[in-house]
Amino acid sequence: MTTTVRPRIGRVIPPKAGRDSLLSESWRRRLPLLPALLFMILLTQVPFVMSVYYSLTDWKIVPPGPREYVGLDNYQHLLHDHFFGSAIWVSIQLTVFPVIVSLVLGTAIAVLLDRKFFGRGVVRTMLITPFLLTPVVIGLIWKNQMFHGLYGVINWVIEKLGGTPVEFVSEHPTLSIAITLVWQWTPFMMLIMLAGLQSMPQDVVEAAKVDGAAPFGIFRQLTLGHLRPYMELGVLLGSIYLIQLYDQIAVMTGGGPGSTNVPYYVYQRSIGGGWEFGQASSYSIVVVIASIVIATFALRVLSGLLKGEAAA
Amino acid sequence: MSAEAGPTAVGERRWVNRVFGGLAWIVGLLMFFPVFWMVLNSFKTEADANASPKLFFTPTLDEYRTVTESAGGLLSFSEAFTNSIVIVVASTLIVLALAIPAAYALAVRPVLKWRDVLFFFISTKFLPVVAAILPVWILARELGLLNSRLVLIILYTAINLPLAVWMLRSFFAEIPRELIEAAEIDGASLRGQLTSIILPMAAPGIAATALLCVIFAWNEFFYAVQLNPVEGSTMPIWVTTNVSTRGDFLAKLSAASVLACIPVVLAGWIAQKRMIRGLAMGAIK
Amino acid sequence: MRRTVGATLIAALFVGLGVAGCGDDDDSGGGGSGGSINVAMVDNPQMKDIAKLTPSLFTKKSGIKVNYTVLDEGTLREVTTRDVAAGGRQFDVVMIGPFEAPQFGQNGFITDLTKFSASDSAYQVDDIIPAVRNALSLDGKLYAAPFYGESSFLMYRKDVLQKAGLTMPAQPTWAQVADIARKVNTPEMAGICLRGKPGWGDLGASFTTVLNTMGGTWWSAKPDGSVDTAMVDQPEFKNALQFYVDLIKDAGEKDAAGASFNECLSQYKDGKVAMWYDATVAAGLLEADDSAVKGKNGYAPAPVDKTQASGWLWSWALAIPSTSTQADKAWKFISFATGPQYLKEAGTKVPGGWAAIPPGTRKSTYQIPQYKKAAAAFAQPTLDSISAAPIDNPGTTKRPGLPGVQYVGIPEFQDVGNQCTQQFSAVIAGRTPIDTALSNCQDVASGVGG
Repeated sequence: MTTTVRPRIGRVIPPKAGRDSLLSESWRRRLPLLPALLFMILLTQVPFVMSVYYSLTDWKIVPPGPREYVGLDNYQHLLHDHFFGSAIWVSIQLTVFPVIVSLVLGTAIAVLLDRKFFGRGVVRTMLITPFLLTPVVIGLIWKNQMFHGLYGVINWVIEKLGGTPVEFVSEHPTLSIAITLVWQWTPFMMLIMLAGLQSMPQDVVEAAKVDGAAPFGIFRQLTLGHLRPYMELGVLLGSIYLIQLYDQIAVMTGGGPGSTNVPYYVYQRSIGGGWEFGQASSYSIVVVIASIVIATFALRVLSGLLKGEAAA
Repeated sequence: MSAEAGPTAVGERRWVNRVFGGLAWIVGLLMFFPVFWMVLNSFKTEADANASPKLFFTPTLDEYRTVTESAGGLLSFSEAFTNSIVIVVASTLIVLALAIPAAYALAVRPVLKWRDVLFFFISTKFLPVVAAILPVWILARELGLLNSRLVLIILYTAINLPLAVWMLRSFFAEIPRELIEAAEIDGASLRGQLTSIILPMAAPGIAATALLCVIFAWNEFFYAVQLNPVEGSTMPIWVTTNVSTRGDFLAKLSAASVLACIPVVLAGWIAQKRMIRGLAMGAIK
Repeated sequence: MRRTVGATLIAALFVGLGVAGCGDDDDSGGGGSGGSINVAMVDNPQMKDIAKLTPSLFTKKSGIKVNYTVLDEGTLREVTTRDVAAGGRQFDVVMIGPFEAPQFGQNGFITDLTKFSASDSAYQVDDIIPAVRNALSLDGKLYAAPFYGESSFLMYRKDVLQKAGLTMPAQPTWAQVADIARKVNTPEMAGICLRGKPGWGDLGASFTTVLNTMGGTWWSAKPDGSVDTAMVDQPEFKNALQFYVDLIKDAGEKDAAGASFNECLSQYKDGKVAMWYDATVAAGLLEADDSAVKGKNGYAPAPVDKTQASGWLWSWALAIPSTSTQADKAWKFISFATGPQYLKEAGTKVPGGWAAIPPGTRKSTYQIPQYKKAAAAFAQPTLDSISAAPIDNPGTTKRPGLPGVQYVGIPEFQDVGNQCTQQFSAVIAGRTPIDTALSNCQDVASGVGG
């Protein structure tokens, strides 16, 4: 079977022609996928359908009442809920800002780490550690150790430099939480970028150098260009996880204007004191639909992620 | 080929390397500082830890002793640790067992709608955990799975599977077509292809994926505390039992956190080389 | 190689599933000869103390093994409310407060303890401080047995006030207290520490007592006791909030918007605040041996304005969910944990000594000589505050719902209180203007009732 030699890009093995063999062939292809797929469908769609059902009822458990079907009432209520609007804005801030900043920092640090120097392994190890801690712990140590108005390390430094202490968590809740998120996710981005840098074909870079290209130009065009798919993977994964953020908000601020994001708001409406499961479910369904819309749009834009898989 | 490595070029490179290296050390120390401070606090008494930052103090192991002594019917360190290890190892193994064939079916011999399947997997992460808890709790209660290790194993598998499928698919897609086709010609079955070619070549990538699954599962708190408050409680729950609403707790919390994070930190440190190689080998082409 | 990899995968799958099966199920888990029960508790030191003493003082005698689940207040409420109200059957004993006890009793979520306590002579149910007992009862039926009780009062540094030439009146008003606070306020030592952290049990508790005594209320009540209209937009409410916010601004602690009990405790012990209005249980910590301010403190009743008393009333009490199948064993445990005998034994056994035994539940506690000696500075003020807490009539107007001082006895108060205190906390932090906060809060509060 001779084929054109392609660079290391996966090429789809097309199904064989012919009806009978097509059937068994495509089922043979599907088979390995089925366990994972069925597992996920069962585990995620059942709760999802249940949530949709609850969102159409007025279910409250405190005070207890019968669970009655109310149609789209909860969704109508949602439209007038300006707290939900604020929560969405906070969600956007706490997703976009940390993802972008940690991506930039992660890339910069990866560039630093790409060269050999004394103790590189130790430094890389130190840099990974923030990502390995439990988020609840991260929130608590930043709140009590670093940001604390009286006893925090950052304010101690500020005072030594002659400034006035800042009450980080009280006065700047969104920023404070965002800083802990950046701290937590920069290692993640750094690892991805490091992988990207280390997989960059050196011959192209050398050729450019021989041609007399400036190092910065090389970096901008070749390196960043090569890194683009890695950046997109980092942004995608980071966003997916940050949208669900809950732990740090719960332990650092307990919610409030400027730090309640959508998951925290949903939590407050359900088991966090509202006990209005019907309404909380309607908010979640809206979030799911919005995420699907945004993700569909985003994935079309992120062509690099899925490029090269076009059928031969 | 900057082989014109004359003395000036080499000297320049070394100088640049040193500057970058120095910068890297500074950045590394800064990033690590909060962790360093937490470890420091774990050796202080509560009085010291809750006062102005002190670098010098008389260290004590009291807080470590306090948090690890098993007491009556309270959740003990060893119980939480065992639960966490079992749950995390089991769920990660199951994730790999499910994701490897799935990735094969999406990368090596792809099904027709592989893009849609990938999108489906990622879309399962859109429902907020804090919302899904309600149906999940009800289902778990009906099936008698509350306060069991099994329920968390199942849930963590569901949480990590999309990530694993996405990453493994990319790694598998990296493997040179020619090798797989050669194995096919030799008449190897799926299992044969997997074991002889795919797994060995993607081993670093698999290690990377497994490590991420371990990190996310080990540190998961919300589902664990809502479903397993009585039995089958995990390390994050144990850590938070050391927080108190009526009294100082920072030193105890630091000690508990250090203990809780050691396994994952060790795993991360050991595996990071492998992980970078794995990601380099395949992530995104 | 291939055989190993394949085998490993399959083995892994089996190991995974097999180990998963080894998980423990709900209830059970091997008890003593008398079985075992599951108890959910809050993470206060007194609770942890009894957990450590349970094997020797309870399990040995009764054979019943006790599995404790210790959670922070917020998570505890989430888990236990869902358990009792949605039938989780995870716990045999849950720790709740006077906010939940009558409500859950009314809804049939928890078991009436009157019969149990009446037939248990060693329990001495009449020894329980009447105010505390009534708060946990409905229609004369006791629904939860108190383990720990607190009110609120004003703690102050006698030496600091003396140096400034000021004296604290025996029954201070808020105006007097604010005046003293502003006078002793310096950059190094704030005048007073007041809670500012969002939460109906944090800022909500201390602010509501101020609101009550200044003639305001969250909602007005219909004659039948149900909610009428939200009164957040009334001048009394705004006055109370303005007073609170201004006092913190002028003479309050650092980082007030994030401060609750723990933060004020730290600052007070560290000499960074001169006065502190908070729970009576704080006194035990201030007078502990390792406290830098031991012996320097005075205790005054909660400041008032238009009412006679304004201290709050809270207790952590044990209740039995109706879904529990082990009510008898559960009662045995409750009888041990909240009976007079434990209090006598705990004094010599808990790390904090006599001053650290659970306060505020029984009259007999305050008769124990060792306790009287160890808690001399604050025992009487504590008992007085608890007894005087105006639970049935905390303010100047009728309140809807079940009795309560620092909260409104309706289930919706949790959510309204949380959302509103988040707004108010932002005002304290200077991020939101007071009128915006009040109007947002009025919106939220108006969503309740008629």
